Amino acid sequence: MNELNLILKKIIRDGVGSTKKVTALVGLSVAIFLLLTSIQLQINYHNLLNNKNNKDSIANFLVINKILTDATLGKTTIEDSIIKDIKQQPFTESVGELTPSKFKASIESNSSRFPFYTDISFESVPKDFIDVQGTDWYWNEQSPYVPIIIPTLFLDFYNFQFSISQDLPQLTPDIIKMILFKVSIHYKTGTISYNAKIVGFSDRISSMIVPQEFMNWGNHQFSTDTINTISRLIIRTKDPGSPLLSEYLKKHQLTTDADKTRFSKYRKVVDTVVYIAGITGGLLLAFALLVFTLFIQITIASCKEEILLLIVLGTSPKQLGNFLIKRFFPTNIWLIVGAIITVSFLQFFLYKLLEIQHIHIDKFISGYTIALASLLLLLIWWVNKRTIRRYIYH
Amino acid sequence: MLELNHLMPIPLRDRLSKKESSVWNNQLIFNLEEWIKITAPSGTGKTTLMNMLYGIRMDYDGAIILDGINIKNISVEQLASIHQSKMSVIFQDLRLFSNLSAYENINLKRVLQTPYYKAEKINYMAEMLGISNILSQKAGICSYGEQQRIVIIRALMQPFSWLLMDEPFSHLDNNNKAIAAKLIAQECKKRKAALIITDLDDDDLFTYSRKLVL
Repeated sequence: MNELNLILKKIIRDGVGSTKKVTALVGLSVAIFLLLTSIQLQINYHNLLNNKNNKDSIANFLVINKILTDATLGKTTIEDSIIKDIKQQPFTESVGELTPSKFKASIESNSSRFPFYTDISFESVPKDFIDVQGTDWYWNEQSPYVPIIIPTLFLDFYNFQFSISQDLPQLTPDIIKMILFKVSIHYKTGTISYNAKIVGFSDRISSMIVPQEFMNWGNHQFSTDTINTISRLIIRTKDPGSPLLSEYLKKHQLTTDADKTRFSKYRKVVDTVVYIAGITGGLLLAFALLVFTLFIQITIASCKEEILLLIVLGTSPKQLGNFLIKRFFPTNIWLIVGAIITVSFLQFFLYKLLEIQHIHIDKFISGYTIALASLLLLLIWWVNKRTIRRYIYH
Repeated sequence: MLELNHLMPIPLRDRLSKKESSVWNNQLIFNLEEWIKITAPSGTGKTTLMNMLYGIRMDYDGAIILDGINIKNISVEQLASIHQSKMSVIFQDLRLFSNLSAYENINLKRVLQTPYYKAEKINYMAEMLGISNILSQKAGICSYGEQQRIVIIRALMQPFSWLLMDEPFSHLDNNNKAIAAKLIAQECKKRKAALIITDLDDDDLFTYSRKLVL
């Protein structure tokens, strides 16, 4: 500190404002901590939903249909107006229609080592909504076989229940993909059979799916029902935990896998916590800044005579202002640094805690949190500067 | 150059306009290196005049023009700059920070701008005026005579072209007056500065170029 500031420090003392300074600083610390915590929590939650590990996960795709009750029996068609409305909702990225097969079909094994037969129905979905990559997902009448994707659950069911009860061998996904099945379509005047292969296993869609071309061809060839009604939709959403989505489904008597939307409950809690912390932090910040302003005002007022003499002797208001800023502001830098360290520590603690539950969040606090801290520092500096300037010139 | 253009303090207008004065309501021009003595009895506005010239009283008619600029029209920052580099003052009422030591009071004026003198000069001048033993003492507990000498040294610590002195020796004996006047004269000559002093009585402490009656 230069000689002038050392002398000024002796002239301008805290005086009666010391208690107010401590109150203001404690208030500011809590306010900054709450604001940084609220933004970090929000970012953590956002990252949980949107990081690469979660991208394209089952939770981002929801198959929805009407809730089946006594009242909706036989009336499960989702109206076009609702489909249009869903497309316009903020939580919707895209919507696909699931087409059910309208013909009787069965599937059986060609191998005597693996005797297997069951009646079956199919669904088809637009290609963009399929989570099995790298397959030639196409069919025409010249194709050697019908590609089929089955739910992973079916394979688990076979390997861990069915095969044991029927004394059949367990099968790995690769072996299943090598087996040639026979799919038979039964219509009024006969049966027609095609070769079929399971080309993949889906975690997303809980029915057996075939290419759209096969479905369109089959429904056209073997069904008399020409009305194209939609009972199930698949939607791609940014945030399956969105409370808005949950409320929308409830309002329109639609349902989906509850497991996928269960995050909406947590989301509501997180949103509430963030909201309360944010509002409290904001109010506390405003209050603390007010008290801090009052403290500066009181300090200046209690040294009014001294400041007047300093100015008479030739001290410029700018020199006084710079001195007072150096006097009041550095404490705030330490407060912000302290808050960043505390939030960083809590973030690391949370990271360790959630890691045990295989939930991955960042080890370190986000750049946005640092940016908010910098903004707060700038705001405090501005309030300090403005108050000092106002009272010095006054 | 310092021009006094028909100056008249508003609160004293009624009283002063009835009296003869070579300063009030006159056109005066003071130049650098001029040493001017203004004498007047009590209550005729000596301190008012000094405060007006120093730019800390603005309740007057007329104008004070310093180097072509009306000091009524300058900003607080500009006035501070003038007080740091062009104009120094010795107030009659001393105006010291009582909780600072004598040394700190003097040093404040030295470091307010780029120092004109090194810190050692404070000890030299204190020695000369006989107050080196009270430099570390709080100004508030120094005698008036000591305080007046502190104020004199404080005024000489900065660069200036104009030195304004309002009854600067009122608490000093004749011997100390002569020593202080010698130091002041020396410092003004060194800076080629003008000196304006107000006092109750005439004196020959300085080689005045002009003597005026307020």
